[in-house]
Amino acid sequence: MLRFIVRRLLVTIPTILVVITITWALIKLAPGNFYSGEKRLPASIEKSIREKYGLDKPWYQQYGKTMWNIVRHLDFGTSLRFEGQSVNDIIRRSLPVSASIGILAYLLALIVGITIGSIAALKQNTKWDYGSMALAMLGISVPNFVLGPILVIVFSLYLYWFPPSRWGGFPSRSLVLPVLTLSAIYMAYIARLTRAGMLEVLRSDYIRTARAKGLSEKDVVIRHALRGGLMPVVSFTGPALAFLLTGTVVVEKIFALPGLGNYFIQASLNRDEPLIIGIVAFIALTLLTMNLLVDIAYAYLDPRVRYQ
Amino acid sequence: MKLRQIVGLVLLASVACGAYSCTVASSKGEFYGSTTPPARNILRYVSGDEPASLDPQVSEGQPEARLYMALYEGLVEYDPKTLAPLPALAERWDINNDSSEFTFHLRRNGRWSNGDPIDAHDFVYSFRRAFAKETASHTASIGLYIKYSKAYLEGQVFVRDPQTGQFLLAKDFDDSLPPPPLSETPVDPAKSEYTPTAEESKPDADTAFHQQMHSPLRLTLPGSEKARTKVLDKNAKLKAAIAGKEFIPVKADDLGVEAVDNYTLRVSLVQQAPFFLGLLAHQLFRLVPRKVIEQHGDFWTRAENIVTCGPFKIKTWVPYDKLIMERDPMYWDAANVKLDELHFYPISDQFVAMNLYKVGELDAVQNRGVPNPWLPVLRSKKDYMDAAEAAIDFLIMNTTKPPLNDVRVRKAFNLSIDKPAWASYRRIIKPLTAFTPEGIFPGYPQPKGAAYNPAEARRLLGEAGYPVTQNGDGSFSCPKFPLDQVEYIFNTQGSTKLMAEWMQAQWKQNLGITIPLRNMEWKTFLDAKQTMNFKGFSRGSWGADYMDPFTFLGYFYVAGESGTGWYDPKYVAMLDEANRTLDNKKRYELLAKAEEYMLDQQPVIPIASTAVNWMKKPYVKGMYPNPASLYAWKFVYIERDQAKWDFGTPNLAAD
Repeated sequence: MLRFIVRRLLVTIPTILVVITITWALIKLAPGNFYSGEKRLPASIEKSIREKYGLDKPWYQQYGKTMWNIVRHLDFGTSLRFEGQSVNDIIRRSLPVSASIGILAYLLALIVGITIGSIAALKQNTKWDYGSMALAMLGISVPNFVLGPILVIVFSLYLYWFPPSRWGGFPSRSLVLPVLTLSAIYMAYIARLTRAGMLEVLRSDYIRTARAKGLSEKDVVIRHALRGGLMPVVSFTGPALAFLLTGTVVVEKIFALPGLGNYFIQASLNRDEPLIIGIVAFIALTLLTMNLLVDIAYAYLDPRVRYQ
Repeated sequence: MKLRQIVGLVLLASVACGAYSCTVASSKGEFYGSTTPPARNILRYVSGDEPASLDPQVSEGQPEARLYMALYEGLVEYDPKTLAPLPALAERWDINNDSSEFTFHLRRNGRWSNGDPIDAHDFVYSFRRAFAKETASHTASIGLYIKYSKAYLEGQVFVRDPQTGQFLLAKDFDDSLPPPPLSETPVDPAKSEYTPTAEESKPDADTAFHQQMHSPLRLTLPGSEKARTKVLDKNAKLKAAIAGKEFIPVKADDLGVEAVDNYTLRVSLVQQAPFFLGLLAHQLFRLVPRKVIEQHGDFWTRAENIVTCGPFKIKTWVPYDKLIMERDPMYWDAANVKLDELHFYPISDQFVAMNLYKVGELDAVQNRGVPNPWLPVLRSKKDYMDAAEAAIDFLIMNTTKPPLNDVRVRKAFNLSIDKPAWASYRRIIKPLTAFTPEGIFPGYPQPKGAAYNPAEARRLLGEAGYPVTQNGDGSFSCPKFPLDQVEYIFNTQGSTKLMAEWMQAQWKQNLGITIPLRNMEWKTFLDAKQTMNFKGFSRGSWGADYMDPFTFLGYFYVAGESGTGWYDPKYVAMLDEANRTLDNKKRYELLAKAEEYMLDQQPVIPIASTAVNWMKKPYVKGMYPNPASLYAWKFVYIERDQAKWDFGTPNLAAD
């Protein structure tokens, strides 16, 4: 197991460096500059700006310097668009915002999704099953840029229960609407995954054995069926959580939250090279870590994987 | 079944979106949403995009400019209604007889937010920094009237004879130079170049530096060997003259700014510039703290380092979330600053901002903050701000490529757009046939420009070799026009697509030409436009940097900057002549003449003057919808007495 983890971690580093290199190249290929505005800057000013940020150097020197700072000091540099703000600081500051919304949304999605999914599986082909699955279908189909504004209209503009947008700290009432908006789609996926997983497990031999042994229905469901039935949910969790942690562009935009997703999209639109690279590298790292954790969790939950 | 499901969901989603845009915008009452003033004396404002920097000398955006007006002060401040210069850190000033030298008398009680006194040396440092290469200021070009600032910015060199120590002079190598301004002629102790005033009967001390400024303009050459050779190759006389001479880099101390004493600042210009005072409220000339910048470098603007000099100072700054400022007790006029705090929220999404405004979590939204589809409803509200804006929309034409390199073709495309119809359709704009906005500069004799005339347009096209013929059904066609060589590029944002389609329809209707449209991501669009990597037309817009027609006419002042490829030395000479003219009426006439000349060359198609488009709660007072949307925050306050509220757009006429 330990060897497995170490091997996976070793692969992670070159993967991230490749990701950074590709990102760097893509930014260089994109037309436009971080400093371009409605009218072209005078040539002398453009020249000073390019000199100040080292953009006048040949590409291999720029690439070498970027990579060296990242590898040697884990320093992604200073944002080009936001003068005097280091990329590391920006990530450190905006991560908690994205992460708190993301984790809360995923917890909510897990609790509600698993409950609904289990009920649907246990009461297969009843009105409970149909009802909850129809709801889940709706959750998957309604995009969050539709759901978010609807929630804002109802709960902020008419009922005045929650603020319509902006970050109010943690915990605060301002979290409610973004968390609900974000969790809807995951809730729906998890409900469907749980239902499918449970249905498969409930028909398997070891559940029949458990029932034959005379275990109570509650024990059968919670200790055996649920554990096996949640396997698809676990593999879904890795990438889902990685994306939730690193910010969701749409929800952060709708609710004007100072999260990573918001920075990421703005950085791309602004051609803010160090910031884009920093955030991409961070997302890649989170994704790889989450996948590793999922694999470990898999081994823990499913004995068959462990003994392979 | 599946199809029905999809159709159903699409219907549901569209109903939801529709409901969103109608129900939110329609609300009963005179005002939009809550009118309960905040409990404390604070103003909560959406500042638009996240500020690029809190360094006033570096960035150029409007959202930033508004923040700087709270944090920094310069010699003068914008009048909240007219944007004319008001005394700020300078108490009063003297202008020499030909507006080529300005002497500012600073107030003695100016202080930084850390309590240090502000003196003339701070201004000398700030002015020099504005033009330093390392600052890489985006706006430095507006201040190049200051003597040797251009040479310093571009890293040029003086030429000196090592034997005599004499510098070569510009006038010896350039016959086209205009007669020198007073600031360049030797100081004559017998007669003052200043008209005596009540406060000061005799001029300020003459210093060695002053004498140096008042000597004839020195010759400057490019700093880099390569660029210099290029210049020298063109001028044999110059090439011969510099043999055996040494090159002295132009340094910060050569700039025409001088601290005559601790509270007197003298600024020497390279030409007569009667409008110069109006530029000085610009962010480029606001005061920045030397000590902090030298200590922290690029990180001086961080909340823990920053020192400011305006009516407000930073309390908390969470980027992309909020920038909270509080009244600075050290500010010289703190007793008259009415707000305790200013809260800026960097929100660029109009809908998000308007929701916050409706529920009363914002007291004002930024200019251009009201979404287009909501305008019909919100324009009738009494908290909607409706006033002229110093900004224009136009179309840029690539004049370097056929068929638009023919001025007749360019004119034809201009004449065939019904601008009044477009304006009445868009509602918040006015049709524009000139390049300066309508009704912004009082007394400016704006040229009329060409009116809508499709018949003339068709005639011109025919003359240029692209005859337009009328079909049986009354429509037109122009089969010879090379459609593969033109397109219309624009960025997808706001109403730009609508505008593109409208123009396309006009040309199709009047000329029988359907120009292909191409939309682009913002930075890609800017790149294509600026490097002229497009054929045909591009959307263009421009807003005033300062309140003078030249901020628009200067769009074509430097070759290669306008994106049109049009550059005419005659036009530049006309502008230069106007700017040297001291009599304002005369100057305006000359500028208008230059504008008319440019319009006749038709590098652009003027489309519309825009109007401001924002809202503020009726209890917000002292915040006026001025043409540049720049608000002097020290005058803004929260009025709790309902009888004194604003019902409608406040009057912009000066009291």
